Amino acid sequence: MSTVLGALVGRRAALRWVHLVLGGALLMPYWLLSTVLLTPALPRGNTDPGQQLLAQLIALPLSLPMAAVTALVPMVRPLEGAAARALCAGALAPRRGGPVRELASSPARSWAARRRTSAWFVLHVLLGGIVSGMSLTVPPTVLFLLASSSGALGHTGRDTLHRAFGEYAPPELLIAPALLFLLLTTNALSGALLARCAPALLGPTPDERLAAAEQRAAELAHRNRLARELHDSVGHALSAVTIQAAAAGRVLRSDPEFAAEALQAIEETARAAVAELDTVLGLLREDTADGRRADCGPTLAGLDTLVRQMGLAGVRVETHTGPGLGDLPPELSREAYRVVQEGLTNVLRHAGPVPARLRLRLSGGRLEVDLENPLGADRPSRPGGGRGLRGIAERAESRRGDYRAGPQPDGSWRLSVRLPVSAPPAPPANAAQPH
Amino acid sequence: MIRVVIADDERLVRTGLRVVLDAEPGITVVGEAADGAEVLPLARELQPDVILMDIRMPGLDGIRATELVLDALQPPPKILVVTTFENDDHVYEALRAGAAGFLLKRARAEEMVQAVRLVAHGDSLLFPAAVRELAVHHAARRGRTPAPLPRLTEREGEILRLMSAGLTNGEIAERLVVSPETVKTHVASVLGKLGVRDRTQAVIAAYESGFVRPR
Repeated sequence: MSTVLGALVGRRAALRWVHLVLGGALLMPYWLLSTVLLTPALPRGNTDPGQQLLAQLIALPLSLPMAAVTALVPMVRPLEGAAARALCAGALAPRRGGPVRELASSPARSWAARRRTSAWFVLHVLLGGIVSGMSLTVPPTVLFLLASSSGALGHTGRDTLHRAFGEYAPPELLIAPALLFLLLTTNALSGALLARCAPALLGPTPDERLAAAEQRAAELAHRNRLARELHDSVGHALSAVTIQAAAAGRVLRSDPEFAAEALQAIEETARAAVAELDTVLGLLREDTADGRRADCGPTLAGLDTLVRQMGLAGVRVETHTGPGLGDLPPELSREAYRVVQEGLTNVLRHAGPVPARLRLRLSGGRLEVDLENPLGADRPSRPGGGRGLRGIAERAESRRGDYRAGPQPDGSWRLSVRLPVSAPPAPPANAAQPH
Repeated sequence: MIRVVIADDERLVRTGLRVVLDAEPGITVVGEAADGAEVLPLARELQPDVILMDIRMPGLDGIRATELVLDALQPPPKILVVTTFENDDHVYEALRAGAAGFLLKRARAEEMVQAVRLVAHGDSLLFPAAVRELAVHHAARRGRTPAPLPRLTEREGEILRLMSAGLTNGEIAERLVVSPETVKTHVASVLGKLGVRDRTQAVIAAYESGFVRPR
């Protein structure tokens, strides 16, 4: 008994009633418009209340198609979604054993989503209209009947009932609670129906779910990449520094020569690590600065800035670019920018401040990136083992391209990366790479 | 004398570790490898007691190199994985592959020396808490229930529990009031029944099977 009462007048029913009254309010303009449209169809000067009531009832179904059409506007979904989330209590509760349900908060872009929003809107305003209408009429009627039964209104109440029901008019004290019960039940049932339909009609479509999952995967891949870059650069450098410092401390007296070497290595490693940290933090800052995802980093359009920055750091870059680079797909352009960035950072790290030659061009459906620089005199070269090179290799692999790096006979170092322009990107398998 | 081989692609790390370990009496670094592929031939030639193995190396990575060395050499050397970060997934892979323990590159020199001595000696678990955490974390993440452990006697089960808690053979002997030799025999039979190489792997198996539960 108490659960029935709760379902009819509890907090949930009250919230849903507000939601339905909102639907009724939303119906008003359409309903007024249909009433106006119906006026010419009515006989002139008709004042029969029965016919006027009929006209108003006909106006209701007439207003629904208009509501349906306007609800195709994409912004209706987030608005109705917000209203349903706040007021349509219980709409998001998971069904037995099912997943938590959600309402989309983005505008409906696809036609499937718009049609569903439109169906929801029609349902909302129709049920809302009915419940609002009843909410306006039932309470006064009930008061009227109660007053009439107490005899305060004389014969008026009884007469009205007789006019409506004829000889067998039921007593007021029976009708009044029945009407109230009808209002509460209609409210509860309408609210329950809306709550049940909300996830299906206002929730994300399968396509949207897929897109959201893909975006999450991309964000995860990006986070992994940042983590890997920090790990590779700063983590490794700091551990090398720690070990060298420990070693130097141990043999400070017995092997001062080694200690001096270790100190120098520590200095250089730490310096390079700070530079690299700067780069990685730069990537992070780019992400937060424009509030966008990872892969929305700079493209080749930002090459001039990069070259200028490298010039300030001591690597003067002579750039040769072919035509058509501005028309590359943005993802490819971004990857190419990163390849160049990592390549130039490598030059600085391994060869120091030396001039470099960068060539970018399109040839045979592939983007060719070539970077050449003289090998630094006193720095040990590590064929194929550099950290930045691994990043470049991963980028090339992810675009199904290839890369080559190594010393040339003329004593220079060359990095060559080839990226197909139209290849679909390989799935992001980077998360499983050894750290 | 504990003979050590260091495998790491970073020269700075290799020389640093070499200097730290060589300065220690009773430990000598007999060789260095800059890549996983160099480790097996070097280990075959030098027969070290302990190999310090970096996980990420350009050619052959440390996990694969660990497997190769442990399969090829008899008696197998103890492998100590050297890592930058503790929460590296590959540390666990390496331990499963048979590495006897791991060493953080940021560890103090004394800790490094002690870790080498400990795995060379082989009768206690290196960083029991960390190994336990890794095993629990990864067993949960794998989300599957692995094959239950083969039948252990009551005493063997008891010893596996104490091993998992990080007790040395000596401590276990004291706790159970038996001789260290008896404990050694039991440990050997536990390892044999579980089909694992050393106590680190036994502890991982104990956690992964749910035989021992984290408290």
